[in-house]
Amino acid sequence: MSLSTALSIAQSALLATSKQTSVVSRNVADASNPDYARRVAVVTSTAPGARSVEIQRAANDLLFRQNLSALSAWSGQSTLYSGMDQLDLSVNGVDNASSPSTAIANLQQQLQLYATTPSNQNLGTSVIDAAKQVVNSLNGGTKAIQDFRTQTDGQIATAVDDLNSLLSQFQDANKAVISGTRSGTDVSDALDQRDALVKKIAEYVPVSTFTRGDNDMVITTKDGTTLFETVPRSVTFTPSAGYTAGAPGNKIYIDNVPLSAGTGDSTAADGKLAGMLKLRDDVAATMQSQLDEIARGLITAFAETSPSQPNATGLFTWSGAPAIPTAGTLVNGLAGSIGVNAAFDPSAGGSPSLLRDGGANGAAYISNTSGGASYSDLLIAYGNRLDQPMAFDTSAGITVNSGVSDYAANAIGWFEGVRQQASTNADAKEALATRTAEALSNDTGVNVDQEMSLLLDLEHTYQASARMMKTVSDMLDSLLSAVG
Amino acid sequence: MKATAVSSAAISNAMRYQQMRMQAELVKTTKESQTGKVADVGLALGGRTTQAVTFQRDLDRLNGIVDSNSLVAARLTSTQDSLGQLSDVAQNLLTALTSAVSGDSSTGITQTAGASALQQMTGILNTSVNGEYLFAGTNTDVKPIDDFNAAGSPAKAAFDAAFTSYFGFTQNDPAAANITAAQMDDFITTAVEPQFLGSGWQTNWSSATDDQITSRISLNETTQTSVSANEQGIRKLAMAAAMVSTLFTGSISQQAQNTIVSRAQKLVGEAIGGIVQVRSEAGLAQKRVSDASDRMKTQVDLFEKHILDLEGVDPAEAATRLADLTQHIETSFALTARLQQLSLLNYLT
Repeated sequence: MSLSTALSIAQSALLATSKQTSVVSRNVADASNPDYARRVAVVTSTAPGARSVEIQRAANDLLFRQNLSALSAWSGQSTLYSGMDQLDLSVNGVDNASSPSTAIANLQQQLQLYATTPSNQNLGTSVIDAAKQVVNSLNGGTKAIQDFRTQTDGQIATAVDDLNSLLSQFQDANKAVISGTRSGTDVSDALDQRDALVKKIAEYVPVSTFTRGDNDMVITTKDGTTLFETVPRSVTFTPSAGYTAGAPGNKIYIDNVPLSAGTGDSTAADGKLAGMLKLRDDVAATMQSQLDEIARGLITAFAETSPSQPNATGLFTWSGAPAIPTAGTLVNGLAGSIGVNAAFDPSAGGSPSLLRDGGANGAAYISNTSGGASYSDLLIAYGNRLDQPMAFDTSAGITVNSGVSDYAANAIGWFEGVRQQASTNADAKEALATRTAEALSNDTGVNVDQEMSLLLDLEHTYQASARMMKTVSDMLDSLLSAVG
Repeated sequence: MKATAVSSAAISNAMRYQQMRMQAELVKTTKESQTGKVADVGLALGGRTTQAVTFQRDLDRLNGIVDSNSLVAARLTSTQDSLGQLSDVAQNLLTALTSAVSGDSSTGITQTAGASALQQMTGILNTSVNGEYLFAGTNTDVKPIDDFNAAGSPAKAAFDAAFTSYFGFTQNDPAAANITAAQMDDFITTAVEPQFLGSGWQTNWSSATDDQITSRISLNETTQTSVSANEQGIRKLAMAAAMVSTLFTGSISQQAQNTIVSRAQKLVGEAIGGIVQVRSEAGLAQKRVSDASDRMKTQVDLFEKHILDLEGVDPAEAATRLADLTQHIETSFALTARLQQLSLLNYLT
């Protein structure tokens, strides 16, 4: 051992300590970055006294995958739930105030009032006004639903663009990781960036990843379609300019394979894209069918009857008037085209007393043959028919046979049922996503206090090494002065 | 080496997340304790929202029918009242006829009694409530009974024409003194009766329809809630009064007058019985309406209770939860502040 050996050991210690300090400083700087994985500076002894510092990146693949799948589920569920909230407000209104059910209940009440005093034409006009409200609610609901579908379509297009751009960014990050790994340089930063991108991609579609040689990552969707393999696969989607009731939406293609909205009921979705597909093609479309069935029920309930003639449209009319829509069969878009028959509407030159007497479709349909002003039988019959069970198309999601008024209430029940499920699922998935993110962060994140205590250690080491150099230097000085 | 690691980001994120959740819950609980209902009925009830919607709808409908029943009840009460008055008119006419038989009153007085009975009856039958004629059947916008004493009355013209065509002279003609009791009796049976008890009633006298107003008095119950002027009792009363007021002219022989009086007495007697019958039918309808209203009020209470069971929250529980939450949030804030201070940095000088 010589003084110069001591000096060089101290020197290498100083070097190692400064490297470790820089890692600590980097860790502290990124302490609040959720995508940053903590670096550990591992010191290994090589030749006697010589030490080298190797930088390792803390990673936990298992927790990372869990977090990815929780992120997809949460993103899908929250998209689904917020979409349902929006639909609920725009179709049913606050506390169902603008729902067809409320409007029909009001119509029933006005009808009852008119039936009690059929000679009062003002009450007849009130019934027509209530009928207009029902029509407004159905027309407005249809428009809101189709607008919602169009809007969701636009959001899907934006999301697909985002996904494509994320995939191309991923390509760059992946390249950096591969080339760094091949040349043996520190790829921690590139890995951080790549993991962050995978997390973002997982919000759009559920993914599974595996890593090949040279740290090359391959991404597939959960059902096995390749999203990225050396190069990104194209995700394509053609948005529609507008939607009409019953029109199916365009599919999203990943690598030319159509993306499925996922199995299960309308309340579970994995990934934002699946959530939006479910909203557009499942929830909103079913709601539309229910509105169409309500419209059909109303036209049928208020149809004018005659012993010798076929039933003909009465208070409510549609494009196929005077025929009545086929019983038990869904007519797409009927809720958008239903209207109040002008023959009944005083503001359109009609007379509400036709509702009391019948005969909007000709003399054969007149029910009040004696012409009495207080004839209430027909009005009472209309009120009864709103409650009489009729056949509804089962494809609209409600199988109970009921009167049209109960059907409208059941439609609200159906929707609130799926909304509740979606909300519960969203809550559960949010908790899971938060919990897995926390676990991942605990495992791979930075604890500033820990880094600070490390820094203290490093400070001591540095001080000791510096002291050592000073002492050696003093010794050499005194040796030289003794010689000199 | 790290056994149970925790990252700085996880600590602060976990707290932020908890606080966010608690504050969201706070908004909900505040709303619940203010309104006494769950914050979002749809989320709380899910598929059972149908029940809440249906109960609310039926509740409104029941209240509506209870309201409209009061209109119906008002009509029935007025009808009952008018029928009572009609009964009185018939009684008075009967008294006048009885005096005529015993020879206590002159022909003129009896005729006046008949005329005034007819007038009162017409007035009562043409009563209107809320712009609807009570006794018009369903034809409530037309006055049901023609005024016999008014000029140009078709009923009066028809009556006089019948007399003239039967006897060949008017009732004021001196020849009327020769009418025998048998002739008068035959005249009443063959010429007068069809005008009142037959088809002539609706041609000349009444614009009322035979069908009565039907009303829905509960969610699934309808009943007839008016009385038509075409009831037999009313027709008979009109016939008796019209006969007495038209034929008691003084020119007509005593025997014929006696026949008229005895026929009229019989008719009024039957009329009183008929009116009582109608009154009891109206009374039954009144009872049905009031029973239905009472039943519906009970249902309304029940439905309100059901709705409260579905949508309501226990106010005490909501208040307690609110207090708990506020306390939790305060604790959480205090802890966050303390933990933020708790850093090794503070001890490194």
